[in-house]
Amino acid sequence: MTPRDWSVFDRPGMRAAFATPGGHGCEVLIALDGIHCSACAARAEAAVAGRARDVRVDLAARTLSLRFEPDRTPLSAILRALDEAGLQPQLLANEEPTDRELRQRRLAVARVGVSTICAMQVMMMAWPGYFGIHPEPGIEQLLRWAQLAISIPGVLWAGWPLLAGGLQAVLRRSLDMNVPVALALATAFGASAVRTVLGAGDLYFDSATMFVWFLTLGRYLESRTRAQALGRTRLLAGRRALTALRRDDGGVHAVPIGELRAGDEVVVPPGEASPVDGGLLDSRADLDESLLTGESLPAVRRRDETVLAGAVNLGAAPLAVRTERIGTATMLAQITQLMQHAQDRKPRVQQVADGLAAHFVALVLLLALAGAGWAAAHGADVDRSMAIAIAVLVASCPCALSLAVPAALAAATSRLAGAGVLVANAGALQALARADTVVLDKTGTLTLPGMDLRRIEPRPQQDPARCAAIAAALEAGSRHPLASAFSGKACGMTAVDTEHLPGHGVSGTVEGRRYWLCAPEAAPDGSGEASRGAADEVHIVLHDGTRTLALFAIGARLRPEAQRVVSGLQHRGLAVEVSSGDSQEAVRELCLDLRLTRFSARQQPQQKLRRMQQLREQGRVVLAVGDGLNDAPLLAAADVSAAMPQGAALTQGRADLLLLGDSLAGLPMALDTARATARRIRENLAWAAAYNLVMLPLAVSGHLPPWLAAAGMSLSSLVVVGNAVRGFGSESGPRGPAAAPLPAAAA
Amino acid sequence: MASLYLLIPLGVGVVLAAIGIFFWAAQDGQFDGLDNQSARMPDEEP
Repeated sequence: MTPRDWSVFDRPGMRAAFATPGGHGCEVLIALDGIHCSACAARAEAAVAGRARDVRVDLAARTLSLRFEPDRTPLSAILRALDEAGLQPQLLANEEPTDRELRQRRLAVARVGVSTICAMQVMMMAWPGYFGIHPEPGIEQLLRWAQLAISIPGVLWAGWPLLAGGLQAVLRRSLDMNVPVALALATAFGASAVRTVLGAGDLYFDSATMFVWFLTLGRYLESRTRAQALGRTRLLAGRRALTALRRDDGGVHAVPIGELRAGDEVVVPPGEASPVDGGLLDSRADLDESLLTGESLPAVRRRDETVLAGAVNLGAAPLAVRTERIGTATMLAQITQLMQHAQDRKPRVQQVADGLAAHFVALVLLLALAGAGWAAAHGADVDRSMAIAIAVLVASCPCALSLAVPAALAAATSRLAGAGVLVANAGALQALARADTVVLDKTGTLTLPGMDLRRIEPRPQQDPARCAAIAAALEAGSRHPLASAFSGKACGMTAVDTEHLPGHGVSGTVEGRRYWLCAPEAAPDGSGEASRGAADEVHIVLHDGTRTLALFAIGARLRPEAQRVVSGLQHRGLAVEVSSGDSQEAVRELCLDLRLTRFSARQQPQQKLRRMQQLREQGRVVLAVGDGLNDAPLLAAADVSAAMPQGAALTQGRADLLLLGDSLAGLPMALDTARATARRIRENLAWAAAYNLVMLPLAVSGHLPPWLAAAGMSLSSLVVVGNAVRGFGSESGPRGPAAAPLPAAAA
Repeated sequence: MASLYLLIPLGVGVVLAAIGIFFWAAQDGQFDGLDNQSARMPDEEP
């Protein structure tokens, strides 16, 4: 392969697509497909040394981010240096500055660390007080000042997001969980600071710093789960190619993607991703579609089949692709959009939890006031009343309640995305967990979209393989559905002078002889015989002008994983039902193969819909699975729907789950994950509720010191987050052979 | 006991220094991509 022409990246118009202008120079994110180890990382850093600043290599994501001055160093020079180092750079589209997010993440780590150090040190200074030891007054006062000094970074800096969050909520005149947290922190810290200056009274620096520590840690863990899900989306989004190699009269040229038009011929070099969705012009392509589907095995595409943007050419030769869809119209862009959309949407259960939290916070504020007032009325001093108020505020903070749902859903969504199941609607995971009936469509769902050559019946003295090869040669290049049954059987034969006889088949010359491939009753010599055979089969014959050579029985092909998935679903307690528009015999045959007893054939969309309503009226929770286009109403009527979207169906379909691998295999895993997630949400909510029920009375009645309240409340949040993000492996139940494809997208 | 008058302020100073060092390390990116570290080898070249 000739060295790539990188200079296209220096065009001014290009810069807007990838570079984020920052304070100094432009920031770019580059995928390095050739990076595998730390030595490669060092090579990458050396390659750009002197040309760029803020160079960061991420080995796990195989990306390099850097900052450069467009006026001094052209981007093409940086890319060429990386290319010459064998690192296969690919510029990623990057609308959002990763810079800001990185700064926030670093700040979050710093806050966790600083609050940890401070909490431990303050506790050491407060230690004599725990045991009623009173050193000489000078030392005691010095210890108080030391606690104050260490608490300033520990509470005011590390806890600043908590304080600011509470203040903002109050200014907005709304109540969220930050309000009691901020109030408790401000009271504890403020009172302790005043008492330090006055030199008398109990201090709560230890409680305040510990509270900040646990809360900061919990939030950090939760944001990490979120960041992982986001990173996956970004990788997907960024893989959008920015330039394409277009073949025109003058040869092959790199052009910005915006200059491409439908119909242009695009060349995809080995190891690179296709920039467009389009038809394959070569006879065969081996593609890595793992980014799109999570499927780690290479996908084979043949002439005229669709190559999706983002699919990497695994072959040794460049591929030619006829452009059909560009930019935001590509499947890749649509998937990305869907994922971003899904991440923005708040599931209903979370809205409910948030609403509850607001009411709960109001109640807590009242209880804190009531507890302190009651203690004061019964002769407690100010110290004691304040301790009670702080304990109530801290102990009852509904943090765990607010974290219970989103943390679990984020973990589940991230896990499923890795396995090629996109959750377009996170709320649907809960319906999926409750599903007890699944209605499957037949065509395109249980069967493959293409057709299968089931049987060859050669006439005497005919070689079946040779007959199939001749038929394959005749059908090569045809887009007729029946042609797919012969793909891959040509064995090097080619047909010339092929002629399509509308409604009758095809004729052509193979190795010097004229052949016809047609329906049995349409044989060219008029010797037509009536077709016979099973109802779900189509028969065609190969004819050489004088006699019939062989008969081919062609039928829809059951998906290889269908049996496993169906039994896997039954194993998980779901009633499986097939609903199809096909003939009675065809559906019955398929259901016999799958050992299914419940099916309905010849179903119009309205009938399918009625059946769905019927099932739901019986109190069943129905999962509908279809190919996303023909059965859109069915999918919309179900409690939860899954679809295997093909092309345009992605945006038209309203499915909750998208099975991206063009395979049903992810379904049992999605069910397991949904059930495990629902269980965890229940556990989390139960834990949060039980915790508050136990702690609140203790705090109000003054039996809970503030430090214990802080520890209990924070540990409760950690339990909730930990429960949400812990691995799914051990409890996913019987995985069976229907295990999901490897999560290749994260590699 | 009198030594505490020196040691406590000293301890506070050490803690503040530790906070500063941790903050600097975090801002310097030393805790970025903690998942990467297991894949990294010690630099061969100084």
